[in-house]
Amino acid sequence: MASSQHVLLSPAELAYLHASLSLTPPIRPDGRTPIQFRPLSAETGILPGTNGSARICFADGTEAIVGVKADVERTAQRPGEETVFLEGGAGDDEDDQEGETKEGVDKRKGDASWVEMTVEIPGLRDDDSGTAFLAAMLSEALLADGEFVKRLWINRRFHWKLYLDIILISPPLSYPLPLLSLTTHLALLSTRLPRLKSEGDEDPFFDDDWAAAPYLFPRPAHTTTTTTTTTTRPPITLLVMAVGNNIIFDPSKEELAVADVALAVSVAGSTAETGKGEAEEAGRRLRLLSVRTIDPPSRLTPPGIANAANTAYGASNGAVGTQKMLEARTAEAEAVEGVWRAPRGGAKRMVLGALVQKVLERGGVVDEVLDALEGVELG
Amino acid sequence: MDRRRINGPSGATIPPVFDDAGSQDLASVKSRSRPPNATRKMYLRTGVTPSASGSAYLEIATSAKPGVSGLKLNCSVHGPRSLPRSAPFSPHIVLSTHVKYAPFSTQQRRGYLRDPSERDLAIHLEAALRGAIIADRWPKSGVDIIISIVEGDQDRETSKSQGDEVWDMMNALSGCITVAAAALADAGIDCVDTVAGGVAALVQDAGDDSTPSIVVDPIPSEHGKILAACCVAYLPTRDEVTNLWFRGDLPASDMDLYTSLVENGIRASKNANCVLIDCLTETVG
Repeated sequence: MASSQHVLLSPAELAYLHASLSLTPPIRPDGRTPIQFRPLSAETGILPGTNGSARICFADGTEAIVGVKADVERTAQRPGEETVFLEGGAGDDEDDQEGETKEGVDKRKGDASWVEMTVEIPGLRDDDSGTAFLAAMLSEALLADGEFVKRLWINRRFHWKLYLDIILISPPLSYPLPLLSLTTHLALLSTRLPRLKSEGDEDPFFDDDWAAAPYLFPRPAHTTTTTTTTTTRPPITLLVMAVGNNIIFDPSKEELAVADVALAVSVAGSTAETGKGEAEEAGRRLRLLSVRTIDPPSRLTPPGIANAANTAYGASNGAVGTQKMLEARTAEAEAVEGVWRAPRGGAKRMVLGALVQKVLERGGVVDEVLDALEGVELG
Repeated sequence: MDRRRINGPSGATIPPVFDDAGSQDLASVKSRSRPPNATRKMYLRTGVTPSASGSAYLEIATSAKPGVSGLKLNCSVHGPRSLPRSAPFSPHIVLSTHVKYAPFSTQQRRGYLRDPSERDLAIHLEAALRGAIIADRWPKSGVDIIISIVEGDQDRETSKSQGDEVWDMMNALSGCITVAAAALADAGIDCVDTVAGGVAALVQDAGDDSTPSIVVDPIPSEHGKILAACCVAYLPTRDEVTNLWFRGDLPASDMDLYTSLVENGIRASKNANCVLIDCLTETVG
């Protein structure tokens, strides 16, 4: 598991790090504020052979590439559903645009198997549980609301099958979840699917002009109509951790090694724009898609020994009787300041609630990250 | 892909759906028969595998509706035992969890090799148990926790189980956590508390416009649509959560909904914990 890779820090270093992160305000090793992300550079459209691609490089040297490929696939017909007849459908070609708005009935259907996601991390086997966990987490956020797969619907007989291949180029210097999630977000933003020319339930036939290919997530159109348009964006998954009373975003590997609790929270933002002359922004509405606790590697760190119990500092090294054993048990239970002990037990529900609340805060980190990603030029 | 065995054609057939006359009636009684805050009955027993150092078997009652099978889980714990010489030093017990669906346990046949969803379940289970185990009492040792899902929690009558697998996974995970806690206690491995799993869901029963309600221990086929669900692993005496898995689609402005989902998950987990405690005291006394 990538999150539980051993960190080469001594118990004394861990205790120091934990103490400095518990201060108000916390002092992080790299001098960031608690809600500050690591600086990153991003670009899209780097792979000409894909439908959409992106690369993100964090300042600490971790780098990921995501390529999105799409295939046309025949939709499996299940018995009991309405049978599809080939008909020269009048008005059927507007399914894609109007299917959702016409009397509020959405004809499009999606299936979770239409999206296939693979994660490759150097140094880990591809059947490693950690990799499977990362892929499950990222695809879960994408599939959670069931709206994304509807975008892959072509007609009742065919759909797009989307392959998302996520490759971490650098060795995993920190838990790669936020990096992979942001890169996937950008790659999906830059994904374009060929424009459909056929109508209704015919075999699909596409426009060969790539310039005419629409984006999978349409750009916000600055129209002057008075209708309200909502632009949805792919989800992002953020890593948040709590140390003492502090909530820290985007922890590095060392910080994660002293976490009391770590959470991966997936959110998606949709912007409702009411075009009244000028595009008046009604604000971004966030949706909570998934929350998972990450097993913090702090549980695997070696414990420190207090001076009182250390024979090198004059503690008696007598015969170990049952009385001694009992004393050792009680000593195990109480914490000595400055001596590192791996956290035991779970997290208080108040802490978990506060973490999620902090992520979903209006004008908080998510807004900042989504705004920054919006600013990336799509190549 | 399993290379050691001769594989059948993949996905060449679809599971049979029997068009019997009674199925029409069944569809009409497709609703929840329990109150929204009641969990299903469960049966838990420890010490079912003599050769393992700890084992437990969990069965969750079938609901009133025929054709719905209950969840049947078997867990065996091997260890604590010393790590092999080649393994690096570990100051804590090394936990390895395996969750495997039996090939015949679900509507779609499962292969012999673990698929990604099973690995995902194993990681969730590991996170839930690692919080409960007092790991530093066994340096340089390891323990294997192996769960086989003998029968999944699925409705075999419906032909389309679209999207239900995900919610089934949550029910399976909560069962896995409870049964693993019982097996760990049976193996005599020190824990801070007995951990148990619970599931709560936000469901929409009548149409798309009805107001959603929160139910405990949901069966996907009993509800019209599941909007969100969460699975909680909870330590009752410490009042702590060791694993939280939420999935769904909730507006961020509605934090109360999320909080009450988690609270209901904890309530379900407390119910499961009562069964767990009863089972363990019965074994001891």
